[in-house]
Amino acid sequence: MAGRAATLAEGRGMDLDEEDEELRADEEARGQTAFEREYEDDHSWEELEEDEFGNLRAPDQAEEQRARRRRLMSAAASARIRRGMVRYVEVVLDLSRAAALADMRPLRAAVMSGVLQQFVRTFFDENPLSQLGLVILRNGVAERLTELSSSPEAHIAKLRQNLDTGGDASLQNALDLCVDALKSIPPYGHREVLIMLAALSTCDPGDINASIKAAKRQRVRVSVVGLAAEVYVCRRMTEQTGGTYTVATGEGHLQELMLSHAVPPPAAPGTSSVSLVRMGFPCKNPEAPGAAAFCGEACLLRPGGYTCPKCKARVAELPSLCHVCGLSLVASPHLARSYHHLFPVPAFAEVPAAELLGVTGCGGNQPDFAPAFVTGRTYCYGCYTPLGQQAGGAGRSRGAASLAAAGIVSRCPDCRHLYCFECDSYIHEHLHTCPGCECLPPHLATATAAAAAAAAAAAPAVG
Amino acid sequence: MRFQLEGLTVYFPYQFIYPEQYQYMLELKHALDAKGHCLLEMPTGTGKTITLLSLITSYQLAHPETGKLIYCTRTVPEMEKVLAELKELMEYRQRYFQDTAGGAPKILALGLSSRKNLCIHPMVSEEGTRESVDARCMKLTAPWVRERAGKEPDHDIETCALYEGLEGAGPEGRLDAGVYTLHDLRVWGRKHQWCPYFLARRMIAYANVVVYNYQYMLDPKVSQMVSREFERECVVVFDEAHNIDNVCIEALSVNIRSQTLDAATRNIGSLKREIERVKRTDEGRLRQEYQRLVQGLQAQGVLQEDARGGGDGDAQQWLANPALPEDIVREAVPGNIRRAEHFVAFLQRFVAYLRTRLAVDQVVSDTPTSFLASLQQAVAIEGKTLRFCYDRLASLMKTLEITASDDFHGVHLVADFATLVGTYSRGFAIITEPYDDRLPSVPDPIIQLSCLDASLAVRPVFAKYQTVVITSGTLSPIDLYPRILNFSPVCIASLNMTLTRDCLCPVVLTRGGDQLPVSTKFDMRSDPQVIRNYGRMLVDLAATVPDGVVAFFVSYSYMDQIVSRWNDMGILQELMAHKLVFIETQDVVETTLALDNFRRACDCGRGAVFFSVARGKVAEGIDFDRHYGRCVVMFGVPYQYTLSRILRARLEYLRETFQIKENDYLAFDAVRQAAQCVGRVIRSKADYGLMVLADKRYQRHDKRDKLPAWITQHLKDSHLNLSTDMLLCIARDFMRSMAQPYDRAAVGRSLLSEAAVNALDTAAPSAEAVGLADMQTDG
Ligand code: SF4
Ligand SMILES: [Zn+2]
Ligand SMILES: [Zn+2]
Ligand SMILES: [Zn+2]
Repeated sequence: MAGRAATLAEGRGMDLDEEDEELRADEEARGQTAFEREYEDDHSWEELEEDEFGNLRAPDQAEEQRARRRRLMSAAASARIRRGMVRYVEVVLDLSRAAALADMRPLRAAVMSGVLQQFVRTFFDENPLSQLGLVILRNGVAERLTELSSSPEAHIAKLRQNLDTGGDASLQNALDLCVDALKSIPPYGHREVLIMLAALSTCDPGDINASIKAAKRQRVRVSVVGLAAEVYVCRRMTEQTGGTYTVATGEGHLQELMLSHAVPPPAAPGTSSVSLVRMGFPCKNPEAPGAAAFCGEACLLRPGGYTCPKCKARVAELPSLCHVCGLSLVASPHLARSYHHLFPVPAFAEVPAAELLGVTGCGGNQPDFAPAFVTGRTYCYGCYTPLGQQAGGAGRSRGAASLAAAGIVSRCPDCRHLYCFECDSYIHEHLHTCPGCECLPPHLATATAAAAAAAAAAAPAVG
Repeated sequence: MRFQLEGLTVYFPYQFIYPEQYQYMLELKHALDAKGHCLLEMPTGTGKTITLLSLITSYQLAHPETGKLIYCTRTVPEMEKVLAELKELMEYRQRYFQDTAGGAPKILALGLSSRKNLCIHPMVSEEGTRESVDARCMKLTAPWVRERAGKEPDHDIETCALYEGLEGAGPEGRLDAGVYTLHDLRVWGRKHQWCPYFLARRMIAYANVVVYNYQYMLDPKVSQMVSREFERECVVVFDEAHNIDNVCIEALSVNIRSQTLDAATRNIGSLKREIERVKRTDEGRLRQEYQRLVQGLQAQGVLQEDARGGGDGDAQQWLANPALPEDIVREAVPGNIRRAEHFVAFLQRFVAYLRTRLAVDQVVSDTPTSFLASLQQAVAIEGKTLRFCYDRLASLMKTLEITASDDFHGVHLVADFATLVGTYSRGFAIITEPYDDRLPSVPDPIIQLSCLDASLAVRPVFAKYQTVVITSGTLSPIDLYPRILNFSPVCIASLNMTLTRDCLCPVVLTRGGDQLPVSTKFDMRSDPQVIRNYGRMLVDLAATVPDGVVAFFVSYSYMDQIVSRWNDMGILQELMAHKLVFIETQDVVETTLALDNFRRACDCGRGAVFFSVARGKVAEGIDFDRHYGRCVVMFGVPYQYTLSRILRARLEYLRETFQIKENDYLAFDAVRQAAQCVGRVIRSKADYGLMVLADKRYQRHDKRDKLPAWITQHLKDSHLNLSTDMLLCIARDFMRSMAQPYDRAAVGRSLLSEAAVNALDTAAPSAEAVGLADMQTDG
């Protein structure tokens, strides 16, 4: 920085015409040089606060958390929506010239590839019944990296080897290639294209609108995650095919946006009819689990392997398609894992701070094994963090407010337990089940809800 | 919604109203109440048109004594837009009158344009230019043609059936109440087999709202014919009026080249032949004309007949002298040009004199007075005689029954020239240049009669009409307009735009990537370093900004120069890797094509850059909204060509007459052009755009202060005095943040509902009154 400031000063020293004099006077009046100004608005450190235990925390995360909750809740709110559980997704990674820019460290391409690897893993976690293929955009053409398949490791390995960038990006080529591949998948499958776009323009051989129409005809849902700015043609493409278009503001945001595509999208009306899907649940080499066997198309000698219940062929891993008879092979945990998309945890309701004032405990029916340090306080049912403002806790200089955990408090509508924000998001993002509801004795499961509601109604009157 | 505005019931066709629209209405109402003129600045994209229409029509409803609303626009598409909005407003207003006895109050609103846009005659409407349509129509509709056709039905003299249809319908030939766009007029005309043009001309006398072009109000030739009978109580609105002074000046300026004189000579020849012919066949006609001229122009009836049956073709127009119209009407035509032969001989002498003036080898500049003096000396022609040229020529053409007016363009120009010179002794300059300064090797002599005083053409408008509203998105600095137009408004206001997100990002770039200053100042503009810095910036921006980018240059010659240098430096090739490049040329057709392709490139995601010129057609009339303009770059400060003699003369005049300093005027004019250019990208509140002012001179206060408030408001300190790398940082952040989904509900929060507006009205009448008082003292 110092070096740059010096050259800056030199640059200014050279022209001595009156206008520049004025400029300089201007600048000096404000007592700062150009490079300082970049950070002028950004005094983020001043906003930090210290709580009674000496922990630093940002003052008010409530807004940010609310926004994040809204996103989570929108998934929960649409609980009874039919979702595409069996997805066929072509992921397009843009490795054109624009991916070589360094506005994300170290390079856009590296960041994109990292995020994509993470996405691939999460995708198969969330959608064990689905398949994914990779396409790369480079030098004006679309290269097929991996065919549609359900093996995360194969995709990731290929991805790692391909990081060269260059040339233009062509959305049309990518679209044509993907739509072509998705054309032949069975009707119960959801056809999706997800494009990770670094470029701001597309060099197409023909009319991209024709390709968009073709995608729409084939009921392919195209979504785009951009890296830099809103490109009109992407907006139109996603709008016409029912996909989403988002632009990342930074690495963290990029990851968040990509991972949001791991959740199965709601089935668009009329995209695919309800139908029974034939699936096989193979066993792990029944005769001698662990014994070496020749598996799969490539006939590799591997320890273990699964046997297709229909044709007795051996496949190396699950989930996959049987390479002989084409049956989808899954394990029952895979099905179970897809289940939570259909029956999500209900959205928790935010509890206003004022309402917390008179409450102690964690809402719901008080478990008697609560540790001593929380007795007489409001705390989170999940992690025992104290919640809200404490009436008698004004011992320290910072006062009562700092006792509370930062952020918003929410309550499960079924079991009426209180949760801090962290627990709330953990429950909705990963656990997919409310521990409070699980712990409810069966006879209380319905009765408590009503009783707790009555108690909550009475509480403000007491306080 | 319907709400009360200081006791006035206002009908506004939306559920919500922006605070600035409310404010705008208040200002407008104060002006109407005070029966005075007003000057209002409000950025584009805030619904200025509908606000204006809504308030003024509501005012007309509440105060029936208010006259017409005369809405002047610059282009036909703008006119159609205004009428479409008015139509919506009227449909909306209906619902409030459903249970009133007699239904909703009816109004008649229509647009008026030239024959070219309204003619539905199968052959005539096919003509290419405005002049040829006018001329062909006149051939079919001139009174003597129709008369002869009536008298000699077997001679097969062609007339226009549509015109005859309208004439035949008599008082029945009219429009029902309603709002008529040009298209609606043509449809109505086809349905009834009436000429839409003459129908519109007839109906504007009865209309409540008339929408037409600036010229119909400002150009004395046209306005005398079209707008003469409008009543004093009318409300005249000039929309997009930031260049109104230039329009006024153009309306009163005439250029004469040697080609013009050649044409005039030919015209005079054919006039002579015609006179001979008529003398032989119908002496009486010429004698009658002579008699009429003896009695003076008023008795001649030129005006009245023109207004009804003639047209706005030059042949039958009467150049109204906006300063002294009565004088000329009262006086008789001087004796020496009453006879047709004498007049033609007189014209011949005048043309010959102009020819000698044209044969100069250096620049000569005259005032009208000195011109007249030397004219008197050389060929003994008096100024007083010159003043009548225009009318005398019109009368002669009529007497000779010449309809091919477009062929007589040359002699008409000469007559215009003569009349203007004879009439005005101040506010004009006559500058004769042997060649264009920029191309000294090509002889191209020209006599320019240039109006220096914009107020001359608008003075009659201000004097005649009760309320004149001048409004635009960019009228800053707003206090200069009353001075150059020489009027005193009762309301002056500059309103801001309420935005829910920072969708405007103006920045001032002063240095290139190497920290050296950039500018188009004369001594720097050809510095290779500056050119390279400009080029690099554009390339980097093209890589950062999606879809369309618009670059404005200060002039065609500068654009040519810098583009060819960029080509040599390889910068253009780099630019083309990111985006396609399109260039505005002086050829309208070419430019339209380029614009078309530019839009196509933006639509299909290829992205494009449009190179354009400040003060050009594109800068004035083309919007680069949405993805067509995500970023606009103004290279340099678009000063006028300061070596131009006309500009020099005008500056001098402004200094002497209005005490406006040369530099103030030049800076004002340059900055308003720059603001116009950069404002092209924001056309609605949902739009967003980066505006780069790339010149170190924009950093100076005297430039920045002249930008409109709605730009300076967003000009953060951290966005001033940038170098290219800092600019790119800002651009990247801006583009990213604008791409985030935005909360449409938040837009709603900045709006006022019906209840909120009514509450506002009852709450703060006193505060408003104070505000008005302030306004009046500084106006
Ligand atoms: S009278 Fe009307 S319709 Fe007939 S030629 Fe003229 S403009 Fe056209
Ligand atoms: Zn099988
Ligand atoms: Zn917790
Ligand atoms: Zn629960």
